[in-house]
Amino acid sequence: MSAGDVETPRWRRLLINRFVLVPAAIAVAIVFWNVYVSMHSHGVVVGRVVDPAGQPVPGATVVLWVLNFTTYVEKTRATTDSAGRFVITDNDSHNIRLAAEKPGTGRSARVPVRLYFRAQDIELREPLMLSGTS
Amino acid sequence: MHRYPRWPIHLALVGVSFLMLIPFYWVLKTSVTGENIFAYPPSILPKSPHPFYYVDVWYYIPFARYFANSVAVSMIAVIANVVLNAMAGYALTRDFPAKAFVLLLFLSCMMVPFQATIIPAYLITGRLGLLDSYLGLALPQCSTIVCIFVFKASFDAVPRSLIDAARIDGLAEWRIVWKVMLPLAKGAIATNVILGFIWSWNNFLWPLIVTRSADMQTLPLGLARFLSYQEDTTGALYAFCIMVLAPGILLFLLAQNEFIRGLTSGATKG
Repeated sequence: MSAGDVETPRWRRLLINRFVLVPAAIAVAIVFWNVYVSMHSHGVVVGRVVDPAGQPVPGATVVLWVLNFTTYVEKTRATTDSAGRFVITDNDSHNIRLAAEKPGTGRSARVPVRLYFRAQDIELREPLMLSGTS
Repeated sequence: MHRYPRWPIHLALVGVSFLMLIPFYWVLKTSVTGENIFAYPPSILPKSPHPFYYVDVWYYIPFARYFANSVAVSMIAVIANVVLNAMAGYALTRDFPAKAFVLLLFLSCMMVPFQATIIPAYLITGRLGLLDSYLGLALPQCSTIVCIFVFKASFDAVPRSLIDAARIDGLAEWRIVWKVMLPLAKGAIATNVILGFIWSWNNFLWPLIVTRSADMQTLPLGLARFLSYQEDTTGALYAFCIMVLAPGILLFLLAQNEFIRGLTSGATKG
């Protein structure tokens, strides 16, 4: 035993060691993660729909599919506003797909969106792009 | 000063260590990419890694419940291992009639596989009313012969005079174990904790037989359940494996010095 060990207070030896610090760090990370999740899990999915020229498409229908065990089933629909923007507020899944369609303008590909937790609030970086005619 | 340079040995050890770590790396890589493990040529570095297979595992099965069950069972097994094995190990350091026979009995029992005793173990657990309970799940892991001998080896290394001094001071036998022997056997305790934890954590057959309700299942059973109803599971399966392995690896890394000391204590005696 070194001289430094003798001088170390008992409470410090009990608390400042890897068997306490590592579990404590993990516990703190879990608490922060759960707080973050609770603050960002309202099921809001926001995005835009554009035409092949990149112009916003108002009145397009956006369909949300959620993974149900092994297949994707339709969960809800939303309509874009004058700026081509849509807001879905009741997503409760972590594994979704989105597609947009407007008669006469076209439809988009079904875009898979993976979330870090269920009902995560998300704003799509890339807009849903309509192509072709329907 | 060493007579020969040691770097060739270290270099060889580093090489062997990398070889040993390749399967773990492959599991980790597949868990974040979902790549087909039979793909040729195999990719060494992960392409487009993402954590979503871990998210899938978390939600596909009640992972948190299975994890809590595994933790509860392992905690019971670890505590029982330390307490019971320390007492048994200390008893085996004492002199008593037919001690050699008892040691022989212990050693011979190590050769009996658990599968051979599983029916009587089940019947006893059932008679005790412990089926489908945490205690029943931990019961066969509560004392293991290997860990008893780890304690015995550690206690054998304690000078006899120390025990005699404690006895002269009026300590009862059980207080000698807790106040004198165990503080000197930290390596053996760490070995018991790690081995008890890992054996209990990875146990599949006994929980499969003892559990009746889905709520009492442990992680290895969850893995089997996960495999039974999921298709195209490469990424998620490997993510599950990492999530099951992580606590054991973490515990080993935390206590590896004590673990190795416990396994080698007594080896250099005399």
